[in-house]
Amino acid sequence: MKWLRHPALYWLVSIGLGAVFVYASIDKIAHPQDFVRIVYRYRLAGPTAGLGVVPANVLGVVLPWIELVTGVLLVTGLWRREAAALAGGMLVTFLAAVGYVLWQGIDVAHCGCFTVGGEGRSAGWTLIASDLALLAAALYVVRVWPQDAAPVSASDPLPAGR
Amino acid sequence: MFAILAGAAVLGLGWNGLSGRGFALTQNAYLQEGDVEVGAPEARTRLDQGALFLDARPIAFYEMSHIPGALPLPEDDFDRAFARIEPRLRSSFDIVVYCSGFGCEASHLVARKLKDRGIPAIVLAEGWPAWTDAGYPIKEGPRP
Repeated sequence: MKWLRHPALYWLVSIGLGAVFVYASIDKIAHPQDFVRIVYRYRLAGPTAGLGVVPANVLGVVLPWIELVTGVLLVTGLWRREAAALAGGMLVTFLAAVGYVLWQGIDVAHCGCFTVGGEGRSAGWTLIASDLALLAAALYVVRVWPQDAAPVSASDPLPAGR
Repeated sequence: MFAILAGAAVLGLGWNGLSGRGFALTQNAYLQEGDVEVGAPEARTRLDQGALFLDARPIAFYEMSHIPGALPLPEDDFDRAFARIEPRLRSSFDIVVYCSGFGCEASHLVARKLKDRGIPAIVLAEGWPAWTDAGYPIKEGPRP
């Protein structure tokens, strides 16, 4: 399993995961009210008579920015492990939310994963599968320490593909 | 990690407040420009004055119980239900639409569809639970 510690793979998974989170945040940030409507449909943070609308509204406004900041940190490498841990936490939360609506029989036709308008993916089993794959990537970035790249002398030839 | 969360929260709330794309966090996100909502007491007054109430919930909910005199106009079967009661709608000048309350968008959607067809309608804020919590009358069964 030495290949799992290859720096290039580690770098690729980190940037790929970060790019997914950045992409996922953009449409939600551009259309916060539309995303909040999707948050309502999950019925996890309200609105209810007891909670009112504020918790769901705040969640819908702040969550895309957590995704964006997490994604940017993963791409740039700053606080990469902390960002990956946060990404993993978000993915566990998303999995719990999708599991809850499936268990409750709530029809969330548009999951609000990447866009907030048009035809979106429904909150179902395929979404759980893709979230599990992303969670595996996040755990990889948190847990695996890449091997240090061997020092390269200026006279060494460049590897193929560079 | 707390710093990331706190920074993202500041950015999110700041963006919502300052970007011009945000909305009031104390407001129901289903509310759009042009929507008119009234609270349960105002709706009760309108009912007493002869307003027509429309139940935008799925028909099974209407058949269990509804506001007295209300007609079913379920959002998930709008076109068929609308055709059935269109003459009554066009002869009513005060129409109030309600649905299941918090988290329910059907009343707003129905009110907008009516508006598109030239029939003004207002929405009962927080819908059915607001009405029943106020202790106002309800009617059980499928008849208005």
